[in-house]
Amino acid sequence: MKVAIINYGMGNLGSVRRAFEDLGAETIIASTPDDLLKVDKIVLPGVGAFTQGMARLSAEGWVPALHNAVINRKTPILGICLGMQMLATQGYEGGQTEGLGFIPGEIQKLDNLGCKLRLPHVGWNEVYYPSVGEIFACINSATDFYFVHSYAFVPDSEEYIRAIVNYGTEIVAAIQKSHIFGCQFHPEKSSKAGRQLLKNFLNY
Amino acid sequence: MLKVRVIPTLLWKGFGLVKGVAFNSWRQVGTVLPAIKIYNARDVDEMILMDIEASLLSIEPDGDSIESFAEECSMPLTVGGGINNLEQVQKLLYAGADKVTLNSSLYETPTLINVIASHFGSQCLVASIDVRQNGLGKYQCYSHAGSVPTHKCVVQWAKEVADRGAGEILLTSIDNDGTMQGYDLDLISQVCQSVDIPVIASGGAGKYQDMVDAVQQAGASAVAAASIFHFTEMTPAGAKAALHKVGVPVRKIFASNRGL
Amino acid sequence: MLKYCVRCVMPQTKPDLHMDTEGVCSACRSFESRKEVDWAQREKELLLLLKKFKSNDSNWDCIVPVSGGKDSTYQVVRMLQLGLNPLCVTSTTCDLSDLGRTNIENIKHLGVDYVEFSPNPLIRAKLNKIGLTEVGDISWPEHVGIFTIPVRAAVQYKVPLIVWGENSQNEYGGPAAAAENNTLTRGWLEEFGGLLGLRVSDLSEVYGIESKFLLPYQYPSDAELQQVGVTGLFLGHYYPWDGLANTLIAQAHGFTSLDKAVEGSMVNYENLDNYQTGIHDYFKFLKFGFSRTTDIACLHLRRGRITRKDALDIVQVRDGKFPWTYLGKSLHDILELLDITVDEFIRICDRFTNKKIFKRDASGALIKDKDGNLEKLNYDNL
Repeated sequence: MKVAIINYGMGNLGSVRRAFEDLGAETIIASTPDDLLKVDKIVLPGVGAFTQGMARLSAEGWVPALHNAVINRKTPILGICLGMQMLATQGYEGGQTEGLGFIPGEIQKLDNLGCKLRLPHVGWNEVYYPSVGEIFACINSATDFYFVHSYAFVPDSEEYIRAIVNYGTEIVAAIQKSHIFGCQFHPEKSSKAGRQLLKNFLNY
Repeated sequence: MLKVRVIPTLLWKGFGLVKGVAFNSWRQVGTVLPAIKIYNARDVDEMILMDIEASLLSIEPDGDSIESFAEECSMPLTVGGGINNLEQVQKLLYAGADKVTLNSSLYETPTLINVIASHFGSQCLVASIDVRQNGLGKYQCYSHAGSVPTHKCVVQWAKEVADRGAGEILLTSIDNDGTMQGYDLDLISQVCQSVDIPVIASGGAGKYQDMVDAVQQAGASAVAAASIFHFTEMTPAGAKAALHKVGVPVRKIFASNRGL
Repeated sequence: MLKYCVRCVMPQTKPDLHMDTEGVCSACRSFESRKEVDWAQREKELLLLLKKFKSNDSNWDCIVPVSGGKDSTYQVVRMLQLGLNPLCVTSTTCDLSDLGRTNIENIKHLGVDYVEFSPNPLIRAKLNKIGLTEVGDISWPEHVGIFTIPVRAAVQYKVPLIVWGENSQNEYGGPAAAAENNTLTRGWLEEFGGLLGLRVSDLSEVYGIESKFLLPYQYPSDAELQQVGVTGLFLGHYYPWDGLANTLIAQAHGFTSLDKAVEGSMVNYENLDNYQTGIHDYFKFLKFGFSRTTDIACLHLRRGRITRKDALDIVQVRDGKFPWTYLGKSLHDILELLDITVDEFIRICDRFTNKKIFKRDASGALIKDKDGNLEKLNYDNL
């Protein structure tokens, strides 16, 4: 099982790589788009701003390579935090910016979505899902995962929502469209629960 | 519901872990790696690792060591000490830190907050504020491991760092630090009321009730402690149990329902 | 670069050690202050204290924790000379050597009642392994047992007074308040008893060892301690402590030393009972940049037996060598008890090595000689 973790200069690569290595996957840090050609799974990590993230992805030629791998070759992908947000159609952090468009939806600031609590939303919070998606196998609803973000994914359709979290308002915690997954929280930093989720992604 | 975090703090000076009292009388008490491994095994919420010598000696963050520490850490790790430019932040995040905390350099160059926040996002930036009470009872900020008075009032400074884009504030009472006599609730309360970003209380925890008070009475989003976790039988798990007992939401232990 | 005391050869990395503005360490200062101690007065205080606790023949007068080593042999000799009837208590060490066994039997034949408590060796081996892999301290269960077993004995045999040997804070420095402390309390154990990190509660909660197997490592409750009135004193507070002098007295009373200096050390008269000590001492070197030889060189230097120059030379020759053998037993055999291979051991060593202290190559990897020994960046102040 070969997992490519995309290195576009914004992300906690070390933690993500270690988490997958601990699970026995062969991981490569993908530094050029060609690295996506021979892998079984892709992980798009991300810590930072949407505009910066997309700018970096575009500048380094990742966008067409990702389209090729994910849309054409149907390589499963997991977007984490900013990585999940970039799967959207567009984001409004620092102006309107186009995302990858893999899952229809947009990225909005939490206070625009009705959250009146302290931002960023940082810490452990319970993730709920009405029914178990593949990514949450063996994980009970209401398990705590680690969040650190100020923006959230608002999908065009509820069918893409796999989990929600409550922070002043309901926020999308995880999404899925076929083989495309995203989680707003950081599974690589969510200890045992996070490991289980990553394992589920590997097993998909 | 967001949980209150209990965060062990590791103070790193030179070659190992230290404990101090009021940012003084530093005592070398061991090395960093074993402590990180223990807290990781105990599944704590987060960890803070502060290099308290870096700003005084103007030395670069030790990326190599941090990489080996981060390797043992499967929960969020915040690293601080002597950080004063973007490249260092990048280096630390790449080495495995999840968040960085800055203190002294922010007084000299407040725009650094804006720059780091716009580049890496507010969520990775924790503004660390060390405070002493002066003769008139006013809270004043100090830089360089508590050795240089900045003549800034804490509430004003807290507001400024929050406005500029810091994600969280790590607020430490120098006077109470290492004494295990309790947090400075008045200080914490003043800062929590003046900003809309999470505040991590630090400095003085001596018993679990101190942490309960910091959260319930003063409004802290998280509590950090060093001395009580290193030197007494008290543990982060015990702290969370005490918080849970009085109704404060804390992280539950994960038990896979089919085993990993 | 490491900074060293300008008087002895101890580096600043030693836990609880302070260097003052003149560059002299607190252990040297503490030794200096011995001149001002009225030892005659101290002995008087000790005799008064012991009189208070002397039993009326219905019970032992005190508990003396012993290991069989030179210091505990000396302690027992001293107690007998002072006319006391001690109950000697040993917590059997992790991997008892033949010489260790011989010296334990020697103490018994000085003429004392003796309790040997041997913790479950299978559990002990598990704890050694956890200590080694998790905190880089193979002797973790030993450190705990040394305090808990005698204190449990005090409670169970209802003998309130425990007579310890030296207050390690006095000879080796430490915060001033503790250096003056001559009684052992739970607070002391927690602060100075080497409990940093791993707790007994972790063993059951994190590592899955059932609490019923950890009884020897549990300190009695405060209520139990109060009921018996357990207290402890350090003989080292009342008599000027000296390892070599203790050895001479012990040898005169049948204690046996090794025929040559112990591996990693510069003397042949201590740490003779536990084959795992070599590993423990080596990890001290990896973490702090000094080990057993440095400790002993400093002790003798302070007493004017060797010069600082000689101490530096001895340290360079013997300190911190990779522990291929200890007391003649091979590393492979010592590790077999813990189900660890030598290769795994080397990986664990590298993990806990404080890389800032040692020479590394351009890629950042530690430089090792053909025997696997590391080299420090500096062995003295530059």
